Amino acid sequence: MLVTIERLTKFYGKFTAVDDVSFVVQPGEIAGLVGPNGAGKTTIIHVMLGLISPNAGAVRLFGKSLETDREQILQRLNFTTPYMAFPARLTVLENLTVFARIYAIRNPAAKINELLDRFGIAQFRNKPISRLSSGETTRVGLCKAFLNNPELLLLDEPTAYLDIQAALQVRDVLLELQRSSGTTILYTSHNMHEVQRICDKIIFLQHGKVIATGTPIEVTRRILKEHREAPALDEVFIRIAGRQSDEAASN
Amino acid sequence: MKLHRIKAVVLRHAYEVRHNANHITYMVYWPVVNILVWGFFTLYLRHGDRLQPGVLSCLLGAVILWGLFNAFQRDMAVGFLEELWSRNLVSLFASPLSVSEYVTGLITITLAKAMVGLFVESLIAWLFYHYDIFPMLPALIPFILNLTLFALAIGIAVTGLIFRYTTKFQAMAWSFAGILMPLSCVFYPLSSLPPFLRPIAWMLPTTQSFEGMRTAIEQGVFSVAHFRWGLELNIVYFFFAVVFFRRMFEAARMRGLLVKME
Repeated sequence: MLVTIERLTKFYGKFTAVDDVSFVVQPGEIAGLVGPNGAGKTTIIHVMLGLISPNAGAVRLFGKSLETDREQILQRLNFTTPYMAFPARLTVLENLTVFARIYAIRNPAAKINELLDRFGIAQFRNKPISRLSSGETTRVGLCKAFLNNPELLLLDEPTAYLDIQAALQVRDVLLELQRSSGTTILYTSHNMHEVQRICDKIIFLQHGKVIATGTPIEVTRRILKEHREAPALDEVFIRIAGRQSDEAASN
Repeated sequence: MKLHRIKAVVLRHAYEVRHNANHITYMVYWPVVNILVWGFFTLYLRHGDRLQPGVLSCLLGAVILWGLFNAFQRDMAVGFLEELWSRNLVSLFASPLSVSEYVTGLITITLAKAMVGLFVESLIAWLFYHYDIFPMLPALIPFILNLTLFALAIGIAVTGLIFRYTTKFQAMAWSFAGILMPLSCVFYPLSSLPPFLRPIAWMLPTTQSFEGMRTAIEQGVFSVAHFRWGLELNIVYFFFAVVFFRRMFEAARMRGLLVKME
């Protein structure tokens, strides 16, 4: 297994963000970690990156533990989210050069240029990040995420700030890069069409717990409790989110 | 620790210096203003022949060395705050970069910046006030080293506080040196302090350094005692600063603060 999460639990005082979560991701898989706001998706990713310490459970990536092999693990994976930022005064090229040095990329200029071309932002190469739109900055984040040819990519709502056309374009580039390099991807998104289209496997979370795992069609049938011929993750999402709102209102 | 990752941190902050005029202000502007004001003050004192010989040299030497200490501890904490303000922490610490590599890179660039300030102040003192600190440097270097080590310990401790309590403590980055200044005997000897404050002042490596500096300038003698006591205190403070930083960092990780810092 490339990713093994075993009985992961994270709480903040009385609030349980992740509750006894277990799942695995196989090499080359694109797994979607989905669920309404507050389901625990981002917390799981942050624990996988060692940014948050769990209260219980274990995370094993590439068969290794972050506690003992942090450097080797993080060298082989990468991460991006539109909610993080880059130093705003530095240009796109400077920001990516810093990360290329961190990951010890050989010939960083060639790699950066290739990625800037691939994500359609080569024209912003020498512009400071502060002059880019959120969508353009998101694409800089994606370039950063592919700098080290990661074996595992953690993408937290990567298309959240993109317009429909840009989101489709980015999705296609992601799929193309994934097919050519066999990168394993763990993907969170609220866009169920996107998740359905690209993910081999879904891990559906609610209130920090896994409520269903499987292919999109398996998760659809399990949560809607009815036979369906095609996946309908949008309906699943609305059902779960609605249930969550009702619970919140009754509390 | 990997050298290429330390160099990446140095490069990141060097780019920041290139683009951010605030760094020029910190590095050059304040040291220049400082030395000009104190320089004119010493000229005023010199005209009236109001002071014993050596006191003016001590004053200007103290201005230069305090500037170095203040700049080092401030720039280290501000360098870290820049990551926080730019929400770059998640990207950095989700990479193979370790905290010790990050701190080492930050220390390197901060030291380089502090040295620029030291050089500018020394040059102005020499050009405008005929105060030449350069021949005295061999005797002052051990005390400069002690000041730098203490500034480093404070910088690490303040950075730890910012990790744990985020921007609530960011004012400490600019003000911590100020808290220590009255007890550090920068411009006056330890004997000027009220007796009950002397033991506290004695426990500060800054006091040891400035006492040592005065002995070197006034008597032309290197005070081994001040240097050694300052160094021993520094070792203790540095150890506690690192332990404190680790605790604060782990507490921040446990509370999920690394991903929420703004």
